[in-house]
Amino acid sequence: MLAVTGNNMMTGRRSAKAVMLAGLLLLLGACGVNSLVVEGNYPTPAVRKIPLTLGLYFDEDLRNFLYIEYTETGQEEYRVASGQTHVQLFGSLLPAMFERVVVLDSMDDASDAGVDAVFAPSIEEFQLALPQKTRLDAYEVWVKYNMRLLGPDGAYIADWVLTSYGKTPTENLLSAEGGINDATVSALRDLASNFTLSFSAVPEVRDWLASKQNVVTN
Amino acid sequence: MDTRQVVRQGFPLWLLLMLLAGCTTTTVDEFRQGETGIESHQSIVILGRRQGSTYETREEFVNCVGDRVARGTGAIRVIPEQEFVDSLFPWFEPRTAPLRTSDLQALMEEPLVAGKIQEYGVRYIVWLDGQTETSNRTGSISCAVGPGGGGCFGFGSWEDDSNFDARVWDVSSFANVGTISTDATGQSYVPAVVVPIPLIARVEANACSSLATQLQQFVNGD
Repeated sequence: MLAVTGNNMMTGRRSAKAVMLAGLLLLLGACGVNSLVVEGNYPTPAVRKIPLTLGLYFDEDLRNFLYIEYTETGQEEYRVASGQTHVQLFGSLLPAMFERVVVLDSMDDASDAGVDAVFAPSIEEFQLALPQKTRLDAYEVWVKYNMRLLGPDGAYIADWVLTSYGKTPTENLLSAEGGINDATVSALRDLASNFTLSFSAVPEVRDWLASKQNVVTN
Repeated sequence: MDTRQVVRQGFPLWLLLMLLAGCTTTTVDEFRQGETGIESHQSIVILGRRQGSTYETREEFVNCVGDRVARGTGAIRVIPEQEFVDSLFPWFEPRTAPLRTSDLQALMEEPLVAGKIQEYGVRYIVWLDGQTETSNRTGSISCAVGPGGGGCFGFGSWEDDSNFDARVWDVSSFANVGTISTDATGQSYVPAVVVPIPLIARVEANACSSLATQLQQFVNGD
């Protein structure tokens, strides 16, 4: 037989309240938005360095880039912050491509920094495909970028569009956040490979590199 | 009917199912186009093809083949796929990897690429391409929980079919020296009488094992 004293009853009520509160929080949590800061590691490209100094400028939109995925009823479902991982990617990619890279806080600093050009990437579009919506066994990410190459005085050199795609299978994944993270990292890796190999082939960039080559030769 | 009777009467069925579960049929074909052989200081790298839009060769399968090729009496030094791909970034990414031996020849004109491949001592690049497909899913299993306990009842089965090709490129001659193909099929069953008992056909594992054994012999020139 279980005898319940006054103190035990109080404790029991507190426990019941705690359980109810925990349950409520759990329910609210289930309705809430899932936030994710994308994290990844990117390899350094094995390519010949261009013997020039490049300024690298990330505007606030890129640094703080946030994609929000909505449910079919218009509720926020996932908030995917990928600005910092983009900064990390370009920060490891470009020093392998150029003799010297200077990260600029402002475009106004370019002329004083003694750079040959300034590279300023921006994200135009970010799309996320979740398996529960696509009925596919993969998380997919597609990103459209606008790449800009400017002179130290801000003059136009080149402006081109690049797209990247990444996916990760749902198998072996413990969480949706893990799947979104891996698919985004895969898309960024795709961007890095495409950017590295296509940079010198962009017509305006090719002309600019040729003009710089002539200056160096003369 | 008590539990012992159920087990005794059901025993031949269980035995039959277990035997059937072990029945994976594997076929390996080898098509040789050139002489092969490898020195002890040389290595191979096994890479998965991931250009297709419908499927990608799973990293786990690539690692499985690599682990098995690196074991046993004819063991060959295998460079881990991720290490090789990262080291030679961005030349072996899904979008940029060479699709033909002529592409590899062009790639080797890049001094940094040629240097790294030489550093690893890579003699052969093996491209694995394929997937495991599941079909013919039949049956259903129902589970219930009550105050007196719980249990499942029913029967499920499916068929797995693994198809993989391994193309072997000789880095020294930029030639495709051969192709090994493996096809493994098997039926898996999950009978459930109170407790579900999965009798899984190890189709992909068998495909990996057969392909690795044949690949090891092929590269060694046996």
